[in-house]
Amino acid sequence: MILTQTTAIFLDAYRELNAKKLFWLTLGLNLLVVVLYASLGINEQGVTLLHWKFQNEFFTTDLVSKELFYKLQFTSWGIPIWLSWATAILALVSTASIIPDLVSGGTIEPVLSKPIGRVRLFLTKYLTGLLFVGLQVTIFSIGCMLVMGIRGGAWEPKLLLAIPIVLAFFSYLFAFCAFVGLMTRSTIAALLLTMLFWFAIWIVNVGDAMMIAQREGSILQVEDAQADIEKQTTFANKRIEQLREQGKPIPGEDGDELTNGYTDSLEAVNPALKLSRSRLQTAQEGAETWTNWANRVILVKTILPKTQETVALLERYLITQEEIAVLMGMNEEQAARMNRNEDEPAFADPRAPARVEEVMRKRSTTWILGTSFAFEAFLLLVSCVVFVRRDF
Amino acid sequence: MSAVIDIQGVEKTYKRRIKALRGVDLSVGQGEIFGLLGPNGAGKSTLVKIMMTVISPSKCTGTVLGEKIGDKNTLQQIGYLPEHHRFPAYLTGRQVLEYFGAMSGIQRKQRKAKASELLELVGMESWHKDKLGSYSKGMRQRVGLAQALMNDPKLVVLDEPTDGVDPSGRRDIRNILSHLKDEGRTIFLNSHLLSELEMVCDRVAIMVHGLVRTQGTIDELTADQSGFVITTKEPIPEHASSELNSLSLPEQAEQTSADTIAFKTDDATKVQPAIDTLRKHNIVIQSAGFKRPSLEDLFMQVVSTDHGDKPGAISGARSSKKGAKS
Ligand SMILES: Nc1ncnc2c1ncn2[C@@H]1O[C@H](COP(=O)(O)OP(=O)(O)O)[C@@H](O)[C@H]1O
Ligand SMILES: [Mg+2]
Repeated sequence: MILTQTTAIFLDAYRELNAKKLFWLTLGLNLLVVVLYASLGINEQGVTLLHWKFQNEFFTTDLVSKELFYKLQFTSWGIPIWLSWATAILALVSTASIIPDLVSGGTIEPVLSKPIGRVRLFLTKYLTGLLFVGLQVTIFSIGCMLVMGIRGGAWEPKLLLAIPIVLAFFSYLFAFCAFVGLMTRSTIAALLLTMLFWFAIWIVNVGDAMMIAQREGSILQVEDAQADIEKQTTFANKRIEQLREQGKPIPGEDGDELTNGYTDSLEAVNPALKLSRSRLQTAQEGAETWTNWANRVILVKTILPKTQETVALLERYLITQEEIAVLMGMNEEQAARMNRNEDEPAFADPRAPARVEEVMRKRSTTWILGTSFAFEAFLLLVSCVVFVRRDF
Repeated sequence: MSAVIDIQGVEKTYKRRIKALRGVDLSVGQGEIFGLLGPNGAGKSTLVKIMMTVISPSKCTGTVLGEKIGDKNTLQQIGYLPEHHRFPAYLTGRQVLEYFGAMSGIQRKQRKAKASELLELVGMESWHKDKLGSYSKGMRQRVGLAQALMNDPKLVVLDEPTDGVDPSGRRDIRNILSHLKDEGRTIFLNSHLLSELEMVCDRVAIMVHGLVRTQGTIDELTADQSGFVITTKEPIPEHASSELNSLSLPEQAEQTSADTIAFKTDDATKVQPAIDTLRKHNIVIQSAGFKRPSLEDLFMQVVSTDHGDKPGAISGARSSKKGAKS
């Protein structure tokens, strides 16, 4: 009975999407992107698209293996553009009407009068939306896996992780969409408010990345200043030693007055130390401020679903940190060796992005998925309660 | 005859303001066609929706098919045609039947067979491949009715089944209802169209302002008001009228208006003395015969006496006003 009903609901959802021409359209778009991906190539001179050739210094088979090229293509637009934006938007447009259509007057009565509980009815309808996205992503990732295998010679079954990951990411948005759809009974409202919500999450994410960049930048400044103080202290100690050997008076000792506002004899013999110390203090204050801000943003983020981070998990699994370092063509030591202007803001430190990346990667999968699913579960729970109690 | 629907004291207050039902008692027996009538806004659909678990009652005791109201499993044995339904426009007639059949838990093979059978029953077999979006209101109503029968229901609940259907379609629906009754199903139907109900219903209940005012067979409800009625061409003069009163006619002859006398008897011989008297005074008799109030008369009585007084009472006064209150 449950199986019969569930199949019927899924079949009905397919027919509805099909009637709106959305089902095959989105499927076709996904396949088109896979074909586009397959028609990209790389050789000794550069990148090719079908029979067109593009000279490129970096992307040649001498520097980038075919395998890495396809992997890079996937991570540079497959994940961040197609899977994180296009798929979700297409899916939202296609599925936003599921719940409003379910609860609209005249449609709901015959369904509610069937031997199916309201919670199960609501959740099954919710699942049809996810199933649709699942289908899209499955086709896309299997297609990409085949392209990567056949054209790039790299069989990467980890690519199939895209299915659960994108599904999880979409399910957060769809839970919100379903909730709004249930409350307003309007597809347009559900779609627009979900987009708005998604945009808000994106803003918070941008804020988060900025705060972290600032914080990491200031921490780097603190570290630099500390190293500098150590250097200057050693130098000052040597200087005091020298003075002592020469029998000269040491400032601040044996009744010799400290002048110029020096706090100890080290500073008096090495004025650069005073400067370093004040720099450390400024840096520490900065670090404290940015840490506070970053913590506040994290608090907000903990409640919200983590859309970007969830999709980024895929990148995390596909490309290792070492690979990134190689790709960046610049590792931390190199960056440290570079001359920096001290007036530059902290996040402008060339080492900061790597640190930010590291911080982001250190956020645990459990935290990312756990808090997001908690948000989703809460929304679904509220929706179910509203749906069960409503008089239609 | 065991009761298929047996409910007491159903109350429903929408959004804490509108009192749609104010304590409804109703009993529907096995195998009968029961008609619930009442003006628009009386609460008929509200009562049906409560039985179909579409809305929850504020207060309710009683059973449908022996189970408590609100039990989802019982719904497997009930067919329902909602008022103002909008079945998915992207489905064909046959797909609608199969979809709702599946929602009732009917297996695929049975579904196919049943859908064909019902499409023929409601006369939609030649349209089964067309999308519902292209159907007329009457066609949708037919498909809706077929949909309500997909699960071989013991109880069929129809909310305004003839709404938007042309006269010949109405006759078809009435025939289907009789057919269903012959198959032993119980039918509960809502309507504000009285003549419809009169033709098919075994029993009726009249609901006004959220209360059932009266229920029973049409004969029962009209029994104490049927009898011989004599109408005259001119108003009966005073002297004739007093002579009539002195005749001590049987069964409380009653002059209901200046030109009408009603008798509460169905024995024609007992009214002859009155005719004799009238003729003796040379009064022209327009008509004389046995008269039984129609459902409409009954309905109008109930509606017009609705001033929030105690339920179930029908007063003898008649109203000549037409049109339903809402
Ligand atoms: N969903 C609802 N919310 C608020 N009031 C309602 C709702 N449905 C019906 N009503 C009110 O309840 C009363 C009874 O309505 P209804 O049961 O549809 O009457 P009927 O079917 O007899 O015409 C009406 O006054 C109507 O306005
Ligand atoms: Mg109604």
